[in-house]
Amino acid sequence: MSHSLNEIEAMCKRAARGGGLSWGLCEEAAKGTRWLAAYGYPGPELLADLLELNDQKPRAGVTPATLENTWYAPAGRLCPITAGAAMSDSAVKMENDETIVMRGVSQPLLVVPFAAGAALRLGAAVSVTWGDVRLTTDGHRLCARGRRDDILAAHAVELRCFAPTEMTTPAAPVMRASVAEACWRRLGVFAQRTYAPATDASRRLGAGAGLNDND
Amino acid sequence: MTTIVQGPQMIEARDPALVMRLARLGSFHQSRLSFMRVLTRRMAREAWSFERPEFEIDAAGTGHAVYTARGPERSYSLIAFAHDLPADQRSDRVIAEAWDATFTLFDGIPSAGDIARLRANIPLQEAGRVSGSELSVSRANRSVRLWEHVVASLAAGSQPALEQIDAVGYLMRTTAVYGSGKLGAADREMIADRPEFATPFQVEMLSVFLTRAFVRDLVQHMAHMRAGGQAATLDPDIARSMGIGNSTGLGMAPFLLNHPVLFNNWIKAREEALARVRRLDHASESEVALFRDLLRRSAQSAVNWHSDHEAQTVKLTAFREDLTRLGAHVDTLDLSGDQPWNRLFNWAGAHLSLEGQECLASLLLEPYGALVDDLADHMAADNTATFRIAGAMPLGRLKEIIEQSYAWALDIDWSLPRNCARAWYVSEEKLEPRLGDRFEEPIADYEQPLAPGRDAAVLYQSLAHWPDITSVAEFLLRHPEHRHSVRRVQIVNRAPYAEIRDNTISSDVLPIDMLRCKLAFFGAVHFDPRSDRWVRICMYPNAPYPEELATLDADFWVYPTERTCGS
Repeated sequence: MSHSLNEIEAMCKRAARGGGLSWGLCEEAAKGTRWLAAYGYPGPELLADLLELNDQKPRAGVTPATLENTWYAPAGRLCPITAGAAMSDSAVKMENDETIVMRGVSQPLLVVPFAAGAALRLGAAVSVTWGDVRLTTDGHRLCARGRRDDILAAHAVELRCFAPTEMTTPAAPVMRASVAEACWRRLGVFAQRTYAPATDASRRLGAGAGLNDND
Repeated sequence: MTTIVQGPQMIEARDPALVMRLARLGSFHQSRLSFMRVLTRRMAREAWSFERPEFEIDAAGTGHAVYTARGPERSYSLIAFAHDLPADQRSDRVIAEAWDATFTLFDGIPSAGDIARLRANIPLQEAGRVSGSELSVSRANRSVRLWEHVVASLAAGSQPALEQIDAVGYLMRTTAVYGSGKLGAADREMIADRPEFATPFQVEMLSVFLTRAFVRDLVQHMAHMRAGGQAATLDPDIARSMGIGNSTGLGMAPFLLNHPVLFNNWIKAREEALARVRRLDHASESEVALFRDLLRRSAQSAVNWHSDHEAQTVKLTAFREDLTRLGAHVDTLDLSGDQPWNRLFNWAGAHLSLEGQECLASLLLEPYGALVDDLADHMAADNTATFRIAGAMPLGRLKEIIEQSYAWALDIDWSLPRNCARAWYVSEEKLEPRLGDRFEEPIADYEQPLAPGRDAAVLYQSLAHWPDITSVAEFLLRHPEHRHSVRRVQIVNRAPYAEIRDNTISSDVLPIDMLRCKLAFFGAVHFDPRSDRWVRICMYPNAPYPEELATLDADFWVYPTERTCGS
């Protein structure tokens, strides 16, 4: 079904919250998913995969143990949202010609929107690579190199982020996206966890409307 | 060498610590930067034309109509669907499932196929789907008593009674106007580069402007149907005095908290406009005359403003006294020189209630369109730049910003139940934002991040034992739960009006203050709270109808003139 990007962002924010991410990370997961969807990538599917993979698992296990040297997760797989956010927060490292290397990243494409944020901060294009894939963004456009299957990989053994780099064949975002019903339902399962069950009291008091609108 | 004097005569925009309190925000009035007025000025300046290519409504009042607005480069069409709604289904709540009329603003001129597609979706509102060709989705219900009175009067060959018109002020009230991608509609990004949408909410304001014309035509049509074509024609002056109502609940309140940069830009534009006027050395005779005229007309508008809500009644009484006092004071003043508007504004701070002070802040802008109207183009927001966290910032700097911008929150004892009595959450039904009682309902686990003061205070506490030189990036790796608040603190550092500097979860918080503030920026008048979290307003009363925009005042219409009709 055709969706507006706002709908995707709103759904993904709720789903990420239902999946146990902090509000701040949810906001970034949602903006990132929207960003990927605008370039024709199935951001919502990748997020649904990630949320199902990490569901009910303590966040510390998938969070970088340190921001020094190669980043790795204590439990072996880095969450691309947490690691991506940390990469964006550490953008200045790349300004000093340092490459940020991550070992073992789930749904690596979800890291790329954070590179867009980092690129805007640095004022220089940032590349994210894994296997034969290389995605480069200046924050406004995206250059993709590699097979689509590899770009949508479920796991990257090693992922590297660096700047400055060249924008070769940039694509501009589009303003509409299509999300499969099944994916929407999977995200909905997580989003549902954020809604408080209605009670009679909340129905009556919560919204605070008047009793009669026939006036 | 030239020295720039930064003495007391250099008037800066007001301190956010003064402006961003809920009681003051909840006393804001429309101004010339309000979104309705920005729209009507633009349409008049650019000579937009209007037509009604379709009006297919039957005797029962069901069918559809199309109203097209043609601007210099593009056209927009309001497609209205009229329904025959049983009284027991009439509800202003977001959980309603049927309405007297439903609408969409279409990007361009709809084909018959578009209208057929939309007829299957728009009447369903949230249960339907629209596409990137639609810019908004909205609905409206009749004011039952005024609607029937107007139809009956016209059908009987006479005009409706002015007291009844004034008591309600509108024939229909909208209960939701959705834009920006809701229900599959076009995202704002798709249209943000069009000059006519540079100012926020122009889509929604255009939709309501055309809705008002439809409602006037529909009431006339229904009177004709009842009278077999023999009904009186509604007096144009009476018609013009009516606006479109709006009934708004809690759903709108979180908007200001969820869009801090946008909110900053609204407040900043108005505060900068006010500062520009206060800096003026002198005022011309015509500027003073216009100000006095609009002040007098504001008093008339205040007379037409009704509310039964206890708190608003008290505010309204004070406001009417303010206007009397202000009028008397202005009569004694020489406004020709010596920073006249600044003198007047400073006097108001000591002598008027918040309602009066903020009304004056808006009125002072009126004679100075050439000086302040450009600010309307800076009220939109692109969040991209402020959304990213500056991870290299040392924690010492983060603490400083909290101490400066959240001092009010650090002074609150958040462990006291009354200071955190409420919690914002989203209900399972219709995903409606609600405000509940943290200690009496099982909602704390579902709390939305809408208490920035408390959250900043908790963040500040967590920072206490971290070294000042440690980076925000390192801190957030260990404390992802503070990521939302760190972002807000960094936003406020760059956008000082981004944050409401008040407790949004205290036992005495009034969500209507947030609703009022937002609706005032829209250009609404006659705020009539129905509870502490629900408000009715009026939009476009006294505004020209589309076909009158070229000939009547497209700017100052919001200030009523002496009524010439009905005599």
